[in-house]
Amino acid sequence: MKGYAGRILKIDLTTGRSSIKTIDERYARKYLGGQGFTVELVYHGVPKGADALSPENVLAMAPGMFAGFPIQTGGKTAFAAKSPATNTLAESVMGGSIGAELRHAGFDALEIHGRSDKPAYIFIEDDKVEVNEADDIWGKDTRVTPETLKKRHGWDVKVACIGVAGEKLVRMACIDCDDRQSGRAGLGAVMGSKNLKAIVVRGTKDLEPADPGALLEIALRYQKIMEAAPSFVEDTKYGTGEFLGWINKEKGVFPTRNWQESVFKEREQVDPYYWATRYVTKNKACFSCTKPCGKLFEVKDGKFAGVVIDGLEYETLYSLGGTCGNSRIESVARANEVCDLVGIDTISAGVTIGFAMELVQRGILTEQEVGMKLTWDNAEDAVPKMCELMGNREGFGDVLADGVKRAAERIGKGSARYAIHTKGLEPPAYDVRGMKGHGLAYMTSTRGACHLRAGFYAPELVGKFWRWEGIDRFSTEGKGAMVATMENFMCVYDSIGLCKFSRGFFLIDKLREVIRAITELEFTEDELLRAGERIHNMKGNFNALHGVTRKDWLLPPRILEDPIPDGPSKGSKISVEEMNKMLDDYMAFRKWDHEGVPSPEKLRELDIA
Amino acid sequence: MVKMLVPYPDKCTGCRFCEMVCSLYHEGKVNHADARLQVHRRDIKTDFPAVCTHCVSCGDECCVLNCPVEAIKNEDGIVRVEESECTACGTCVEVCPFGVMRMEEVAFKCDLCGGDPTCVKFCPMGAIKFEEPKPEQYELVKKLLEEEE
Repeated sequence: MKGYAGRILKIDLTTGRSSIKTIDERYARKYLGGQGFTVELVYHGVPKGADALSPENVLAMAPGMFAGFPIQTGGKTAFAAKSPATNTLAESVMGGSIGAELRHAGFDALEIHGRSDKPAYIFIEDDKVEVNEADDIWGKDTRVTPETLKKRHGWDVKVACIGVAGEKLVRMACIDCDDRQSGRAGLGAVMGSKNLKAIVVRGTKDLEPADPGALLEIALRYQKIMEAAPSFVEDTKYGTGEFLGWINKEKGVFPTRNWQESVFKEREQVDPYYWATRYVTKNKACFSCTKPCGKLFEVKDGKFAGVVIDGLEYETLYSLGGTCGNSRIESVARANEVCDLVGIDTISAGVTIGFAMELVQRGILTEQEVGMKLTWDNAEDAVPKMCELMGNREGFGDVLADGVKRAAERIGKGSARYAIHTKGLEPPAYDVRGMKGHGLAYMTSTRGACHLRAGFYAPELVGKFWRWEGIDRFSTEGKGAMVATMENFMCVYDSIGLCKFSRGFFLIDKLREVIRAITELEFTEDELLRAGERIHNMKGNFNALHGVTRKDWLLPPRILEDPIPDGPSKGSKISVEEMNKMLDDYMAFRKWDHEGVPSPEKLRELDIA
Repeated sequence: MVKMLVPYPDKCTGCRFCEMVCSLYHEGKVNHADARLQVHRRDIKTDFPAVCTHCVSCGDECCVLNCPVEAIKNEDGIVRVEESECTACGTCVEVCPFGVMRMEEVAFKCDLCGGDPTCVKFCPMGAIKFEEPKPEQYELVKKLLEEEE
C-alpha cells in the first residue's frame, strides 16, 4: 500500500508494553486516515459506559491521509478519545506536525491505553518505543515542556504535550503541538488522566507516494490556485478573523456578552484590521501549509507587555473578546496566552467566563463568591486572570474549569438558564439564532457545539456552496439533509487531513486525483462520501451506546427563547418547533431514530460492527 | 552574478513545505532528512530556512576546501559533488556551517534544481528567494544556528 506506513502502534501505559498491528487496503478504504482511524480505534477500544478519565479510555492520534506529503493545507493530525466534557466520541484536529512525524517513524496511528502509575512521556524514534519518567516536566507549561524535551532528544523531535490544566483534569484542557492545539472537548484531560505529559516523536523513514511526478504537478497547480484566490491575501494579512467585521456588522451574528447581544459595538480593537498592522511581527503557518493564517502577536509595552502568542484566531476574538465583553485587544491576547500556556481551549474558556459574568450581572453570583470583580466593565483585567485560575483549578476557577454545564450544576440558583452549550460543549462564534442550519449543526455535532463538524456557517452566510444555491440562513427548510451531507464531507476532510479553509477549492471531486497520486487507491465521489458517512455514524452510534441522546443535543434556552435584540438579524431565534423539525428531518435523512440512534439497517449498510 | 537561494528568516512561517517538495523533486519521495535545505521551527518566535550558499558565506568551514579527496567542486560558482570520487567519509557533513550537506551512499547537496529552484516556487512569503547572494542574510542564519548548539 503506497502512501500509508501500513502499521498502527498501540501502547499500554499500565504495563508499559507496546505492540504493532498492520493495516491493509480494506482498512484504509473504510476509514481513510486521520480522524477516521482515530474514530475506529476509540469506537472499538473503549468499553460501553467507561469513564472518560479512567484507564479504560483510549486516546488515539493519527496523521491524515495526506499528512507528510506536500499538499497545501493537508498536514493535519487528528486526536480522539471519549470526551470528559461531553461523554461522546470526540475528535480534535490540529495543524501540528506530530502526525506526519509519526508516519515518518512508520505508523499511521497511535493508540494509547491504560494509565501510567507516575508522570510519564512517550518517546518514539522510528521502531524504538519508550515510556519515560516525566517528573521534571510535570507542572511545566506548553512552551517549557517541548523546549526541555527538544534539548534532551534533539531539535528535530516533534512534541505534543499538555499543560497544567490537563494534569489537573480540567475538562476543557487541550493538547498542544507546534503552538497549535487540539483544543476542543477536553482531550488534554484524557492525557492527564493517563499521567501522560507528552508524546515525543522522531521519524526518519521515507514516505513514498504512488506517483511522485503527479503529486508535484498537483502541488504546483494548487499553489497557483491558492495564491490567486482573494482569500490568500486577506488571510495572510489578517488571519482567520478577517471576516469578523462582516459577520458582526453585516450579518449581526457575532455573539456578545454571553449571547445577550449579537453585534459587538465595541469591536474596533478586536477586528484584525485594527490589530494586524499594530501588533503582528511575523506570519506563522500550520505544518504543510503555504498560506500563513497564523500571526505572531507581540505586545511591546503597557501593562500587557511581554505577551507573545501565535494566534488571535477568529474564534478566540469572540470567546475571550466579544462574549466576555472584552474590547481591549491586548487583554484578549494575554488571555489567549494564558490559555495556551496552561493548556485550555480558548472557546470553552471564554464562553464559560462570559457565562459567569452574566451571572454576576444578574446578581446570581457575587463579587465575594467569585473572588474578583468579574464584570463587563472590568473584563480586560478579569478575563486573563480567570483563565489562569481555571487552568490551575484555583479559587472560583475550579467551579468554571469544567465548562458551563457543570458550572451551572454547581452554582444552581437558575444559572442553567444562561449556560450556552449543546451536549456540554460551549459553542463557537456564530449566533445560530440568525443561521438556523448552523444551529442544527451545533446540535448534531458529535462532540457538542461545533462549527467544524459540518462547517455549515460558510454555506449559510454566503448563501451558496457546492451543490446548493439560494440558501436562506433564516429558514429551516432542507437543512437536515444539507447538514448531514456536509458532516459526511467534513469527516472525509478530517480523515484526509485537509484544512477546512480549503473546502472552497478542494471540493470532493478534486480530492480523487490527489488520493490516487499518494496512495494509488481509486475512489469515486460516492465512495468517499460513504466513508465519511461511516465515520460519522460510528461516532453517532458510540454516543448513543454511551447514553448521549436527543435530550442532550437540544439547544440552550437562550437560543430558543430570547430573540436577537438588535442589528441585521434582529428578532430572529430558533423556536422549539423549528428545532424539532430540523432534528426530525436530520434523523430521517440519516435513517436514525427519534433519539438519534443509528438504525441497525444503516449500520449494516455501512459495514459498522 | 550567479543567482543563489537567499534566506529571509523573518519571512519564514515554519510550514516546511520547501523541505517536502525538495526531497520529492530530487528523490521521488518525502524525507525531511533528504531535503537540501532545512527549516528550523525552534520555538514560537523562531522559524528559519537554512540553505546552501555555494561557497558565498562558508569561509573556512567550506565543504569544497575540506573534502579530503577533492570530490566537491566549485564550477563557476555552483558547488557540486562528483559522486564517483566521493568516499562518503562525512567530513563535508561535519563542516557545513548551515547543516545542509546530506549523506547516504555518497554526499549530496543543493543543485538549485538546475537553475529553477523548486523550493522557491512554494514560498509565496519570500522566505527563500532566488536572487543575487546576500552574505548578510546567510550570517543571520548562521547566528540562529549557533543558538541551537
